Amino acid sequence: MEACHEAETTARAQARTEALVLEYQTKLARYLRRMVGDAETALDLTQEVFLSAYRMLSADPARELNAGWLYRAATNAGISFLRRKRILRILPLDRDVDGPPASLRTWSVDERSAASLDLQAALARLAPEQSAALLLTSYAGYSSAEAATILGTTPEAVRQRVCRAMRVLRGVMKEGIES
Amino acid sequence: MNGRVDCADAERLAGTIAVSEATDAERDAYRAHLAGCGRCLRDLGGERDIERVMGTVAQARDAERWQPDLRALSRRSAPARAPVWAAALAAGIVIAVGIGLTEHQLRPTAATPSISAPEARALAALGTQTMPQREGRAESLAVGTAATTLNLRIDARGVPLQCTVAASSGNRAKDSAICRAAMRRRYSSP
Repeated sequence: MEACHEAETTARAQARTEALVLEYQTKLARYLRRMVGDAETALDLTQEVFLSAYRMLSADPARELNAGWLYRAATNAGISFLRRKRILRILPLDRDVDGPPASLRTWSVDERSAASLDLQAALARLAPEQSAALLLTSYAGYSSAEAATILGTTPEAVRQRVCRAMRVLRGVMKEGIES
Repeated sequence: MNGRVDCADAERLAGTIAVSEATDAERDAYRAHLAGCGRCLRDLGGERDIERVMGTVAQARDAERWQPDLRALSRRSAPARAPVWAAALAAGIVIAVGIGLTEHQLRPTAATPSISAPEARALAALGTQTMPQREGRAESLAVGTAATTLNLRIDARGVPLQCTVAASSGNRAKDSAICRAAMRRRYSSP
């Protein structure tokens, strides 16, 4: 009887996770690719997020997982990855400050627009928390209050991070025009 | 928004404008501060400037075409058990390619088919070509009893690169006319 209940819980968790994957995989993977600057890593991290969701739903079938939870998990995964990368990085800088990151070479032609290059070059110069604030508000379309909930901070702090990110992006665009 | 706005407030307001959450009063306060603060104007930019910069993010988002499929990824990363028929097919392809390469290497180059002068003229007039085309391979045209033998180099696209008279017919005008005719043509793949 208990085994039957367990199998039913697992099947339900699988079905709910699959529904989440279908609805959010593109948004989360794109968000993470912008954050980490690399498609393969973004896919790995996105997979980790959905795996966490599956474990959560398996452990607590009554739990509601929404977009906010997924973005928070994705943001934490992205920030952790970037911090690990910065600690491990010695030479040369992979997220090069003098030009678009090498990973952008693997992106499609459509995405190699001036806007895409400027954004990626600016993101490479930002602290992970600033990248996340900029991407959550301007890329994923969350308000500063929603982004604050995802990031575990205040709306004020989110707006301040966005402002600093905006200044860097402005600088990158200015450099692009001058060069 | 009441009171005087300092540079720290201006930065906060710029962030509010950047996320499109600023009220009219906040925008007025920001404008008023920028009017008297060259440093903030230079560092943060005006409202239009902020919106233009933030528009870059929206443009990048709109240009995004990447459609990841995690389910395909998990299928790809799962340890695949290659079926026996696939291994056999792969082995067959390797053997066939090996045989083909060996034959290709052993095959003599520059087979020199000959056609008569009337045939050559007819071919030139019709705009057809029946000679084998392969880059680096020479081909010859034998014309009548007094044959003209040509070496014609053709690239992979079928464009003739060079024509030299290997053996003259004795009539230089005829040789060069044939050469010119051969060079004017494009040679399609066999």
